[in-house]
Amino acid sequence: MSELTKKIAIQYQGIAKAFDTPVLSGIDLSVNSGEMFALFGPSGTGKSVLLKTTLSLIVPDRGDVLINGESVYFGNPDTLNTVRDIIGYVFQYAALFDSLSVAENVEMGLSERAIKEMGLEAVQERIWESLDLVNLDPGEVWGKFPAELSGGMKKRVGIARAIAGRPEILLWDEPTTGLDPVNTAAIERLIKQLSEELHVTSLLVTHDVEGGLEMCDRVAMLEGGKLRFCGSPEGFRNSEDAVVKAFTDRRAANAALDILDIR
Amino acid sequence: MKFSFARGPSLALAQKVNLLAEHAGQIGLLFFDLSLASIRLRVSSKAIFRQVYLIGIQSVPIVLLAAGLVGIVTSQQGGYQMQSSLPVYIMGSIVVESVILEMGPVLTAIVMIGRVGARITAELGTMKVSEQIDALYSVGRDPVEVLAAPRVLAMMISMPLLVALANMVGILTGMVSAQYTLGLGAERFFYGARLFWHSYDMFYSLLKAFFFGIAIPLIAVHMGLRTRGGAEGVGRTTTESVVLMILTILVIDAMFPPLFLQ
Ligand SMILES: Nc1ncnc2c1ncn2[C@@H]1O[C@H](COP(=O)(O)OP(=O)(O)O)[C@@H](O)[C@H]1O
Ligand SMILES: [Mg+2]
Repeated sequence: MSELTKKIAIQYQGIAKAFDTPVLSGIDLSVNSGEMFALFGPSGTGKSVLLKTTLSLIVPDRGDVLINGESVYFGNPDTLNTVRDIIGYVFQYAALFDSLSVAENVEMGLSERAIKEMGLEAVQERIWESLDLVNLDPGEVWGKFPAELSGGMKKRVGIARAIAGRPEILLWDEPTTGLDPVNTAAIERLIKQLSEELHVTSLLVTHDVEGGLEMCDRVAMLEGGKLRFCGSPEGFRNSEDAVVKAFTDRRAANAALDILDIR
Repeated sequence: MKFSFARGPSLALAQKVNLLAEHAGQIGLLFFDLSLASIRLRVSSKAIFRQVYLIGIQSVPIVLLAAGLVGIVTSQQGGYQMQSSLPVYIMGSIVVESVILEMGPVLTAIVMIGRVGARITAELGTMKVSEQIDALYSVGRDPVEVLAAPRVLAMMISMPLLVALANMVGILTGMVSAQYTLGLGAERFFYGARLFWHSYDMFYSLLKAFFFGIAIPLIAVHMGLRTRGGAEGVGRTTTESVVLMILTILVIDAMFPPLFLQ
């Protein structure tokens, strides 16, 4: 493995996926190790589908994903287990396990092997730490069930579960969508803080373009099954592409309605 | 579309057949995965016990109630049908045989479809549409091992026991009911029952229960895991699942006499 490929944490190679209609038609995208990368795009363009192909939650029709240079779909069958081990996934609606308490939910973020190796006490400690890292009061939420939590708290527990195994890579599926501005700011600070403290690579799908441009090293935009933009935040801000502009400018957004044929 | 001449009703039929084949294939794969998980001892015994409690033990009252009522009805309707054309003690045989061979297993299965099968489909369906199934995979757990296997195994254990209980209670209430309505005492009831009794019948009954105990949770899990489309999807899939479970039980039931009573 060369120095160059080693530095790429996630590499999507020609990912194509169709359900009833084509959703992704050949996505090539690389996220470097240690990088914070934001992915923008209108609703329903397949951002979640792309994220899910990383862990084989959705299997692409064509293409492959390389994690630290290892093929998820055409390599050693064990690679997928490793990949699920080293990647934390934050789901759009938290996707907490209803029947488990908050602590049990976070514990699920640890692999079975890790739980065995760590032992009961270290596991409890890890759960406590993880809840603390997402600014929840562990003592307060420990035994609660997801149905007793507010939307913002659920998202935090979802994040705590994703980081419990101390992943190398975090995939964030719209972590701030549906939250009030205060919670949005808090979660965004958290994303940045976690990425720095835990030294993770982050791929962040978000509708909060300003936040994404501010936080991330590079950004991309998915639209119509293709990458419409991929580059630096400055490049995104200064792009002349009408659809890209629509994401940084409300007036341009109105103009883009016609281009995207949205009524 | 494979057949260009398939239009209108024949197209609809072709699609139904295709869908059925798809279901059958997927259920077969699920069964294979489940067997693999069980053989490799990848299923937590704690989870199985929990499901035996939820599925088996908590179903005892409703199963017994249903079986008790069936015993009473069988004995009274049998008595009415025969009216004096046959010796009354024949009622013993009629009640025992219809409860053990047919009513005990089938009625218990129907009750369990409503109480357990529908619940499994709705529970897993909700987990599917709220991405909890995806979340399980993402943390390296296999939903077949964690969710499906404990439910299927618990049902396989519970069904024969529940049917055995249902048989006993059905016979008991049938006997008591015959005593009050036909004046047939317990001794003559069992005299009649023994006339046509084969101990194989009990085995036949429990074998049915065993097969039902596999079919019901297998379909319930399969339907739950293929749920799509939010709350509405969960409702629709649960209904489809119940229909499929009932039909499957009746088909298995219909296959039993030619296969095992020859
Ligand atoms: N499991 C699935 N089955 C069928 N269609 C799906 C599935 N997942 C996503 N889709 C479809 O793919 C498209 C993209 O969805 P998604 O990736 O969730 O969009 P978004 O960019 O908003 O995250 C949508 O039209 C959606 O209906
Ligand atoms: Mg999405």
